[in-house]
Amino acid sequence: MATTTNALPQIHRTARGFCITSAVWFVIGTLVGLTTAIEFIAPDLLGNISWLVLGRIRPVHTNIVIFGFVTAGLLSVSFYMVPSLLRTELYSEKLGMITVLLWNIAVAAAGITLAMGYTQGREYAELIWPLDLVVVLLFGLICFNLFMTVKQRKEPLLYVSVWYVLAAVILSAITYCIGNVIWVPGSGALAGMPDAIILWFYGHNVLGLLLTPLAVAVAYYVIPSASRTPLYSHTLSLVGFWSLLVMYSHIGTHHLLQTPAPTWLKVVSIVGSIGMIIPVMVVLINLWYTAKGKLGQIQADVGAKFVLAGSVIYLFTCIQGPAHSLPVVQRITHFSNWVVAHAHMGVLGFAGFIALGGMYYILPKITGKPIFSKSLAELQYWLVLIGMSGFMIGLTMSGLIQGHGWRSGETVYRLLPQLHHYNIFRGAMGVLIVSSALIFLYNIIRTIFFNPGGQASGVGKES
Amino acid sequence: MYYPFFIVYLIAGFAVTLWAFWWALRNGQFKDQQRARFLPLDEQGEQPAVTVTRLNRYQSYLLLAFAGSGLLALAAAVVYILVTGG
Ligand code: HEM
Repeated sequence: MATTTNALPQIHRTARGFCITSAVWFVIGTLVGLTTAIEFIAPDLLGNISWLVLGRIRPVHTNIVIFGFVTAGLLSVSFYMVPSLLRTELYSEKLGMITVLLWNIAVAAAGITLAMGYTQGREYAELIWPLDLVVVLLFGLICFNLFMTVKQRKEPLLYVSVWYVLAAVILSAITYCIGNVIWVPGSGALAGMPDAIILWFYGHNVLGLLLTPLAVAVAYYVIPSASRTPLYSHTLSLVGFWSLLVMYSHIGTHHLLQTPAPTWLKVVSIVGSIGMIIPVMVVLINLWYTAKGKLGQIQADVGAKFVLAGSVIYLFTCIQGPAHSLPVVQRITHFSNWVVAHAHMGVLGFAGFIALGGMYYILPKITGKPIFSKSLAELQYWLVLIGMSGFMIGLTMSGLIQGHGWRSGETVYRLLPQLHHYNIFRGAMGVLIVSSALIFLYNIIRTIFFNPGGQASGVGKES
Repeated sequence: MYYPFFIVYLIAGFAVTLWAFWWALRNGQFKDQQRARFLPLDEQGEQPAVTVTRLNRYQSYLLLAFAGSGLLALAAAVVYILVTGG
C-alpha cells in the first residue's frame, strides 16, 4: 500500500509542476489526435458536433501537444538542469509555480477557445490575442527566472545546455510577438503574402528555436550524465549552438516554395535548410562520440534510452528536412501526408522522446525517489517507438500516393479509397501512443505522490 | 510589404545573438573548455554503479539496426521521388 510518508523536497517544485503538466497534456493532446485520426477513417462517425469537427480539433491537437506536452516536458527538465549545471538553486520556485499554473491555464484556454471556433486561423499561431499576451508573459516570466538563476550562479562557466535553454526562451518570446503580429489585436495578421512569410518565419521557429534547442539542451545533459563520460567536445557543441542561431532563424520560407513568395527569399531558405546539416551533425557527432562504448550503460537507464532514440530520430528528421526543402522533391511531398510524417518525427520522435527521457531521467532527482515502475517505463518506450515508426512508415507511404496522384492530375476523391487503409494503420498506431501517454501519466503520478521510495531502482511494487 | 517586419525580426534576433556572443567572449566563456566537458558529471558523486545486462546490449544493436534501416528507407523514398516525380 502506498503511504503518505513520501515528503517531497521543497526545491524542484517547478520542475515537478511542469512534469505533471506535460504528462496530463500528453494524454489529452494525443486523445484529441486520435479523435482526428478516427475522423479521417470515418468522417461521419461523430456527426456534426461543431467543437469536434476536424478543422477545430486539429489545431487543438497541435497546440496541446506542442505547448502542453513537449514544451512543458522540456521546460520541466530545464528547470532542474539549469540550476544544477550552475551549481545553484532556481532563483524563485514561487515564480516558477506561478508560471506552471498560468501555463496550464493558457493551454486549457487555448484548447477550449479553439474548440469553440475562436481562432486567428494561422497555423501554430491560432490563439486569439488575449491568449497571445499570456503566452508572451509566460515566456517573459521564464526568461526572468532563468536569467536571475544565471546571475546568482556559483559555476562561472555556462555549459552548452544552459546556452541552448536561454536562447530558446528569449528567442521564442521575440518570435512569438512578431509571428503573431501582436500589434494587430483583431486579426493577428498582416495581409496576403507578407502575412504568409511572417507566419512561416514564426511557424518554423517555434520548432527550430523552441523545441529544437530545448531538446538538444536536454540531450547534451542526459547523455554525458547517464554514460558517466565527459562530453566529447564542448568547443564543438558551442560551434553547433552559434551556427544553429545563424542558420535556423531565417529559413521559414521553405514552407512556402509553392507560393508567389520572392525567389530570393526561397533561395535563402533552401540554402539555409541544406546548411542545417552542419549544426545537426555537430550535435549528433558530439553526442554519439560521448556515448561511444557506453551504449549498454545508456540502454540500462530508461530515461537516457529515450534520449538516445530521440537523437536517432533527430537524424532522420534532419536528413528528411533538407531533402524536402528542395523544390524538386517538394513538388511531390508538399501538402501531403509526407509532411505530417515529418512533423510527427520531429515533434514526437525527436523533441517528444527527449522530453519523455529527460523527465524520466530527472524524476528520481526531483522527487528523491526512484521511478515507480521501470518496467512500465520500458513498456512505454516500446509502445511509443513502435507507434512512431508506424506513423513514419504509413504516413510517408500515403504521402507518396497523394503526391504522385495529384501530380498526375488525379482528383482528390478518387485517391481517398487508396488512402483508407493507411488511415486505419495510422489510427492503430495512435492507439499505441495514447496508451503510452496513459502509462506515463500513471507512472509520474505514482512516482511523485504515491511512492514512499527508498529503492535505488526497479519496480516500485513494494509500495 | 513584409520587409519592415522581416527586418525587425532579423535585427532583433541578431541583436540578441551578437550581444550574447560579445558577453560570452568578454566573460571568458570560451576558455577552459576542457573543464566545461565535465560539468554534467560533477553533481553525481556517489551514484551506484549501473549493471549492464545482455538485453541492454541487444537493445543497442536493435537501435543501430533501426537507425540504419530508417536511413535506407528515407534514402530510397527520396531517390524514388527524384526518379519518378522530378
Ligand atoms: C534540418 C532540419 C529541418 C529542415 C531543413 C526541415 C524542413 C522542413 C520543411 C521544408 C518543411 C515543409 C514541408 C512542406 O510543407 O512541404 C517542414 C515541415 C515541418 N517540420 Fe521540418 N525540417 C527540419 C527539422 C525539423 C524538426 C527538428 C522539427 C521538430 C522539432 C520539424 C518539424 C516540422 C513540422 C511540424 C512541419 C510541418 C509544418 C506544417 O504544418 O506544414 N522539422 N520541415
